[in-house]
Amino acid sequence: MSAATTSMVRVLNATMSFNNTVVLDHISLDIKAGEFVSLVGTTGSGKSTLLRLLYMDIFPKTGLVTVGNFVSTSIKRRQIPLLRRKLGIIFQDFKLLDDRSVYDNVAFSMYVTNSRRSDIKKKVLNVLASVGLSHKRNSMPWQLSGGEAQRVAIARALVNEPFLLLADEPTGNLDPASSLEILKILKDINARGTAVLMATHNYDLVRKAQRRIVQIKEKKLLDVQLKTP
Amino acid sequence: MSFSYILKEGISGFRRTRLSMVISIFTITISLILLGAFAIIYRNASDIVLSFRNRVEMEAFLEEPIDEQTYPVIEKRLLAIPGIQSVRFISKEDAAEIFKKEFGEDIHSVLDFNPLPASFKIHLADGYKNSDSAAVIYQQLKATAGIDDVIYRKTLLELIDRRSRTFVLISLALGVGLTIAAIILVANTIRLAIYAKRKIITTMKLVGATRAFIRMPFVIEGIIQGFFGGIFSAGILFGVIHYAAQLLGNELAEIVLVQPWFYGAVAAAGIILGTLGSMFSIRKFIGESVG
Repeated sequence: MSAATTSMVRVLNATMSFNNTVVLDHISLDIKAGEFVSLVGTTGSGKSTLLRLLYMDIFPKTGLVTVGNFVSTSIKRRQIPLLRRKLGIIFQDFKLLDDRSVYDNVAFSMYVTNSRRSDIKKKVLNVLASVGLSHKRNSMPWQLSGGEAQRVAIARALVNEPFLLLADEPTGNLDPASSLEILKILKDINARGTAVLMATHNYDLVRKAQRRIVQIKEKKLLDVQLKTP
Repeated sequence: MSFSYILKEGISGFRRTRLSMVISIFTITISLILLGAFAIIYRNASDIVLSFRNRVEMEAFLEEPIDEQTYPVIEKRLLAIPGIQSVRFISKEDAAEIFKKEFGEDIHSVLDFNPLPASFKIHLADGYKNSDSAAVIYQQLKATAGIDDVIYRKTLLELIDRRSRTFVLISLALGVGLTIAAIILVANTIRLAIYAKRKIITTMKLVGATRAFIRMPFVIEGIIQGFFGGIFSAGILFGVIHYAAQLLGNELAEIVLVQPWFYGAVAAAGIILGTLGSMFSIRKFIGESVG
């Protein structure tokens, strides 16, 4: 269990502001390898901002963000794609490409990382099977339900075998049954060793996840203990 | 980086967004037709100005009486003056012949003697066919031993100088303006086309594509657009000039002289315009944040 004790994400005293408005104020967070963390907070509280700090779309004004071997203060612009290849990122709006099939959407991640053609086919079919969408591989995104579209997005995020999956409101557009399906898939992924950070304002889902919870409240990040009924 | 994938993505991107591609090609075509037409007009107007300059000659009349043996000596002196390319000797008899041709009367029937002096027609070298240089040469000719008088069409040369200076300035302003307008127009059209595909750029960034990888399919699209825009505009210019030449006969063909390489240059300009347009346009989107 040595991997489980290694911090793969470390946010240290990070402050983030936009146009002089502070969104996150001296927050700190450690996520260990293989950990599942739910990030809660009201809409606009800064959950997405924290995730963007982790995939280094933005950088903290003060403090430090470390993800794997990449450190916010020293990462070069050309290294950011290398970081993102080790992360899986999914969004509320799926961000699928409407002009290509489910298979091509998932394969896209591997094409852009210059994988071998033979590997691409094998891995894409495997990952589609793991999210239960083998039969939809030739469908176009607009032919899918919300839950299916999110599963394609998850497949695309997983196909490069990331060490951390960042999920930004993954169930925000889904009905309760589909939301539970997605949660189950995320927990399965986590059980296979991938760390998951799921940002959501769906407290019911978090309760059902029964994992570590952190909350952004008044620009600060706090660990939260679930009240047992 | 998989080149075959980039190429495939570039070509299929072209197929996927047909309308914006057609608009981009149309814009490039129109821009190049304007630039091409301007280049033809400028080139031919410059040729006309040059042909006027080429017609300007100086004539140095020899002192009288003069020993015929000194003609070659004077010729040597004239050719030693910088800016004089060639000279042609006009003997007294030749002058009388020219007089007869121009006035229809034999000078010998009017006068008992030939008053027309021998002269040298002087052709100036390129770069000296302007009023300033001609004035300097005029002074040197006047100071040359054996030369009595020098004439040339000073006022015409000054007029050509003034007009061609204005022509070059206006052309330069128009050319620069047209080129800038073409680049802005093409870059904006391509930018709109790329804007429609910003989702694919976001996704590429999310899954870890490098900036070069993201840029390449769009540049390939730009090259294809530029290639077609260049070919179409070259074809249209060729068609219009040939149709007009047929309609107006050989007169136009003589005035509007277009070398075959010009059409190749227009097509190449299309590729350059498409490539630069896409490279400038994609920069903004690559730099945008993902979230």
